[in-house]
This record gives sequence, C-alpha cells and structure tokens, in this order.
Amino acid sequence: MIILALSLASFLFALWKRPLLHIGLVLQVAYIISRGIQLERLPLVGPHDTLLFLSASIAAFSIPFGFLLKDRKQFFNVVTVLVSLYTVFVMISKQHNSPLPPVLKTFWFECHVVLAFMSYALFGIAAILGYIYLNDKQPPIQPLTKEGEAGFENHSRERQNTTEGLQYRAALIGYCLFTLSMIFGGIWAYLAWGTYWMWTPKELWTSILWLFYSFYLHARLRQWWTGRPMAYLGIAGFVITMFTYLGVSLLMKSSHSF
Amino acid sequence: MKKLLKHLANFFFSLKTTLWLLGFMLVLMLAGAFIMPAQQEFETIHSIPMFEWLKIQPITITWWLWGLIGILTFLTVNTLFCSVESIIKKRKVTQWLLLISPQIIHIGFLFMLLAHLMSAVGSYQQFAVALEGNMFRISDNAVLKIKDINIQSDYNGYITDWKVGVEYLKEGKMFQTDTIVPNSPSVRMGFNINVKNLQEYPYKAILLQISREPGAVWALAGSILFMVGIITLIALKINMER
Repeated sequence: MIILALSLASFLFALWKRPLLHIGLVLQVAYIISRGIQLERLPLVGPHDTLLFLSASIAAFSIPFGFLLKDRKQFFNVVTVLVSLYTVFVMISKQHNSPLPPVLKTFWFECHVVLAFMSYALFGIAAILGYIYLNDKQPPIQPLTKEGEAGFENHSRERQNTTEGLQYRAALIGYCLFTLSMIFGGIWAYLAWGTYWMWTPKELWTSILWLFYSFYLHARLRQWWTGRPMAYLGIAGFVITMFTYLGVSLLMKSSHSF
Repeated sequence: MKKLLKHLANFFFSLKTTLWLLGFMLVLMLAGAFIMPAQQEFETIHSIPMFEWLKIQPITITWWLWGLIGILTFLTVNTLFCSVESIIKKRKVTQWLLLISPQIIHIGFLFMLLAHLMSAVGSYQQFAVALEGNMFRISDNAVLKIKDINIQSDYNGYITDWKVGVEYLKEGKMFQTDTIVPNSPSVRMGFNINVKNLQEYPYKAILLQISREPGAVWALAGSILFMVGIITLIALKINMER
C-alpha cells in the first residue's frame, strides 16, 4: 500500500514536474510485479488489480503519444489527473487474494484480460486526445480534396500529427487489441464452457463497445465527421468503455461480475 | 424499375448507409442491454437454438433481437457491395495490400456473422448431474461413462484442480478413453463434453454439459481473417508514416 501511496504522490506532483509521471509508473509496475509474485499468478482479477493495470497502462501509453504531440503539457496534465483518480480507487478497493478457479488458469484468459485492459487504456488515451482537440486553438482540419487516392493519402498525412490524427491511431490500435481480446475470450469460453458466445450483459456491452469503435473508424472516412465530431466520438467511446468495465461488472449479473 | 434498382444499388454502395446501419445497431443493442437483465425469459436463451427460442418468446421483449437480425442482413449486403466497389475502383493502386486488407477484415466479419447464424440455427446444449460410474447415451449410439472424478482442494476448501476420466463404449465394449480437465473438453463427433461444475462432499459429483456449436470453426476462421487484415492495415499505415 505504501508503494501505491508513493505512486499517487508521484502522479499528483507530476502536474508540476512531469518526470514524476514516469516514477509513478515505475512504482505501479513494481507493485503489479510484487502482487504477481505474492499470488503466483497474473494479478488481474477484481477491481483492485484491474484498475491498477488500467492506470499503469494509461500512464505507459501516454509516453509515446505525448512524445508525438506538439503541446504536451495539457495532455500530460489530463493523463496525470486520470491515473491519480484511478490510483485512489485502487487504494480503496478490496484485494482479491483467493486462489483462482482452475478454469481461469489458462493462457487464453490471461491474454483476454491483458489485451482488454490495454485496449481500454488506448481508448482512454483517445478520449484525452479528443478532449485536448476540443480545447485546442489549432485550425480545423481542411476538407478532403477531390484528387482521388493521392489526394486522400496527402490529406491523411496532414492529419496524422494532429491531436485528431493521434486520437485515431490510439483508437485503431485499441480496436485491434480489443478485437484480439474478444477472440481470445471466445476461444477460452469455447474450451471452458462449450460456447464462444453467451448472451450476458457483459458480452452485450462488449459488443456495443466493439460496434461503437467500428462506427468511429468508418465515420472517420467521411468528411462530415472530421474534426470535432470525431473528438466527441472518442470521448463517448471511453464513457462506454468505463461502463462496460465497471458499470456492468458492478451493477449487472454477469460471468464477468466482480 | 431501372431507377428503383439504381437507387437500391446506390443505397447499398454507400458508406453513409454503413454508418446508419451501425448507428441503428448500437441503438438496438443499447435497448437490449437494459431489457435483457430485467426479463427472466433471457435466462433460457442458451437452452435451445436461438431462432427456436425467439419463436416462442413474446415480441415485446425480443423486438430488439429481431431488429438486429434485420439490420445485420442489410449490413451484410452493404459490406459485400462496398468491398466489391472498393476493389473495382482502386484496382490500379500500387499498394494492393492496402486495398485488400480492409476487404479481408470485411470477409472475416462476414464469416463471424455466418458463424452466429449457424449457431443460432443448430446449436445444442444439454446438462446432466453425474456420479462416478454413471453412463449416458450420446448421439452416435455410443455410451459415455464417467470413470473417475479427481478433485484437488486447498486447506480452505477452494478447488485448485480437477480431472475427470471418461470412457466411450459401444455395445458394452470400451473403444476410447479420454480425460476432461479445465479448459480441455472431451470432443466426440462434433460435440464438446465439458464439466460445468463439481462437488467433492458429501459425494463426488459433476455437472456435465454436452454441447455443439456448428459455427465455431467459422468464427475461428473469421477471427483469423479479421486479425490478419487489421494487423496488415496497421503495419502498412505505420510504414507509410516513415
């Protein structure tokens, strides 16, 4: 718990001294490793461990994305506030220290959970970038030219280094990891329970989340959605992510309940 | 008639249609996400194939599922039209991988839809409580015998591992043995034989599940195609940025 308190302090002071964000991240990674050694398994069951993994993942992914941004200060400030908030929830949530049921001791489950939380973290980064875009004073993205493929590619290159372009990258990689997580979950469910799909609230919300980001990725191909609408979509996506993760697990009866 | 067909083709060729269909699907699924936990009828949704289940349930609670089936039908046609159009329009681009990878994603998605359709028509699931020595007749006139149940628990009573030995018999003669362990069912003639739950005291017993998912192979094939497509697309985009 001392390590967590130190990481929280590091994150809070990172608002003034950014390198402290890295120290906070290192402390959280050390805590995750110590939990793994203590439990002799991947510590990714229950809100205490999963929130911590999410917090550390957001902090870790923020480093490459922040590096690509021109105005990093606001981005890292929002990241710092978000990971601090998660760390507070980690500290007040109960640890799950009991042994895992045999059905959870599998490579498929570990990959399913790790990839899911990495994708949640990337959706979080996308939402932060959307927030930055909405508060940004940079000129809005110009509409697509009508020069066919070459025009589209040039336009895409222009968009890549904007906050909106980075948001798209975070969402695309997050979507890829999330899809992979769903596939691993499906394989695991088939081996464990004889079916790759179950109609439970968690599965339904997971599909809603996946469909939402499918919508996001397709919407970006249309001119009308470029700019602010995409930023709003990125933020809305993270709200759905958080409900899928915490809301469903805490409020609804499901195979994924805490 | 010609004009109508042209309108119909334009509708299905449009990315705008895709977005509307995805949007409608999201609305229906959100509605379902609140209806499903509130209605007891959904507890039996896995007991029979989904289409059979849908036929006997009141439309007042299943309308969103019927709506989803309808939209998915339109989305399938839309996906096929858009993929074909994209290949025809952009066939002269130099980076053919960039052209083909989104279409591989689309094919993967369609395979997954096909998998769900097949499972919704032909899935099977039965449960039985079994003790050591119990026998069950299964599909190909073979008999499944529960040979032994081994359960390992820790000092707190948590089950840490288990193993169930089974035998398959025909005309009273054993012709195959197998062991069911966590995440490794016994598979016979397309049926998965899983242990859903176990009990050690007062006597060893298991809850046996015999199931069949005809769409499983298609779902796996679709997943692989989807991932191959999306990873290729990301790799190409990263490469283009360099």
